[in-house]
Amino acid sequence: MKNPVTASLGRMYAIMRNTFIEAYRNRAFVGLGIASVGLVVSSIALSRLAISDQASRVLVDFGLFSIALLEVVIAIVMGVILIFKEVDRKTFYLILPKPVRRSEVVAGKFGGLLLVLAVALLLMGLAWVLSLWSRGIDLQPDMFKALALVWMEAALITSVALFFSSFASPVLSGVFTFGVFLVGRSVIILDELLTAKKGLIVQNPVVQTIASFTVDVFPDLSVFNIGKEIIVGVPVGWDYVGGAGLYCAGYCLCFLALAMLIFRRRDFV
Amino acid sequence: MDHVIEVEGLAKTFRPPFRTRKVEAVKSVTFAVEKGEVYGFLGPNGAGKTTTIKVLTGLIRPTAGKVAVLGGAPRDIGVRQRVGFLPEQPYFYDYLKPRELLDTFGRLFGMDRALRKRRIDELLELVGLTHARERRLRKFSKGMLQRVGIAQALLNDPELIILDEPMSGLDPIGRKEVSDLVASLKAEGKTIFFSSHILADIERLCDRVMIIDQGLMKAAGRLGELLAGGRQEKEVLVGGDKDVSGIAEKPGVVRVEAMGADATKIVCSGAGFEDVLRGLLDGGFSVVSVTDGRMSLESLIMDLAGQGAEPPTGEVAP
Ligand SMILES: Nc1ncnc2c1ncn2[C@@H]1O[C@H](COP(=O)(O)OP(=O)(O)O)[C@@H](O)[C@H]1O
Ligand SMILES: [Mg+2]
Repeated sequence: MKNPVTASLGRMYAIMRNTFIEAYRNRAFVGLGIASVGLVVSSIALSRLAISDQASRVLVDFGLFSIALLEVVIAIVMGVILIFKEVDRKTFYLILPKPVRRSEVVAGKFGGLLLVLAVALLLMGLAWVLSLWSRGIDLQPDMFKALALVWMEAALITSVALFFSSFASPVLSGVFTFGVFLVGRSVIILDELLTAKKGLIVQNPVVQTIASFTVDVFPDLSVFNIGKEIIVGVPVGWDYVGGAGLYCAGYCLCFLALAMLIFRRRDFV
Repeated sequence: MDHVIEVEGLAKTFRPPFRTRKVEAVKSVTFAVEKGEVYGFLGPNGAGKTTTIKVLTGLIRPTAGKVAVLGGAPRDIGVRQRVGFLPEQPYFYDYLKPRELLDTFGRLFGMDRALRKRRIDELLELVGLTHARERRLRKFSKGMLQRVGIAQALLNDPELIILDEPMSGLDPIGRKEVSDLVASLKAEGKTIFFSSHILADIERLCDRVMIIDQGLMKAAGRLGELLAGGRQEKEVLVGGDKDVSGIAEKPGVVRVEAMGADATKIVCSGAGFEDVLRGLLDGGFSVVSVTDGRMSLESLIMDLAGQGAEPPTGEVAP
């Protein structure tokens, strides 16, 4: 008999591999390639418009922001249709009766999407670095750390998308997930408002409770954005990146566990 | 325990979202499948066959009742390792080639690379798809997809094979091939459970059958016994244009059908048949042939229903 852990990993790998192949063969990457080229061209154009000492700032900031946004869009779009498509096309009738746990299917799908996001990041990151280099901006290790953090943010959003899609329709799941993304990006602002001495938030107890609950529960996505640090030249250590990785993993595990729980109980009719 | 499948008091009620009406797809089904037999699951469209099979394969949970497959729960990984399943009208990842698809499934079965390769080659050969192994499934015809479905159901060399309407949508040659395959799997000692809404598909192959209609089990047992219990018709083909109306009055005649200009088919009940035949021969009619009338599934179910509330069970699990 095979070791149950390696057997389980093997099954998750099979699902992950298939998820990746599907994205690849559906020519998702062709669109990404086009998006990357568009990114280079538009950021170079933008940087030419800017005053010369602002050019590097625009290139770094705009580039990172666009990459993060595209990654999140991929995470949401693919995350919400992944399970729906299998149900809709009835391909699950062949997968789920195989000797595989439903939680392994969810984990494998998540892994496959992470791989898709990584390849997409590689493509877009390359385009970004190229655009920086073409404008004579020195490459710094922090730029690669910034890309790794963008990937973590997308991973977190993927787990949120999988969670919603385990019970809601693709459109609703997409809306909810995008909502979580928007709130997650604003948590830091909300947090600042909460610590302020004056203002609506601290003066109305109901609003304050809601705001502090939001800050406590929602992921703070600003953790994954170090664009400002790069521009200002504040070094970001690998320990920070590691901490952000743990933060990301914690949220991913929670959302995936919930998705698995719901998925396990579902009827596939 | 020798039962490969054991189902007791199975019921499944669907509650479609945003609708108040619930659908009782399966109301009460009890049966047991023995090791090594071919078990037919017979019923008209919408009877609840696919729903029952979805419970057996762990796709859905029963509302009530007990289900054991190979002595375990349908969702048990160890059980599934020994079961093969062909869904009704299977759908595949159409961006894959058959070899890739089977390879993915082989990984799920925990087969190593060498074993996967060997089994895939064997099975593509068996179902006659070797020539199409490098073609995307998107470009496959319906019959070819059914073959891929059969190949994947046999990938793990399963002890129990569950087939949901394996012959529907196939041409006569395809049907024959599926029948031959089922027969050869039985010869290998496999247990086969398959559903159909066509009596003819089942009667040639099955050791025992279970008949279901509107979610209720109507009968279970040997098909021969069930048919003998029902109305057994004979068809007498009479040649020439001689008037048969005198014969048609006889009590044993069920109906008379004209077969073109110079032949008539007389359908008789099993009991009155001899009297009708004697009348025809004495009257100087030319009797061309006498055949067992093929009972339709619908008339079989009607007959079984007519025999009273208690389903006539040849042999059934308690
Ligand atoms: N998901 C579902 N929701 C509601 N009703 C369903 C669902 N699946 C099947 N049914 C109904 O249950 C009955 C049995 O269906 P099914 O098991 O597919 O029959 P069969 O396979 O014997 O043709 C049918 O009336 C069908 O409309
Ligand atoms: Mg059916």
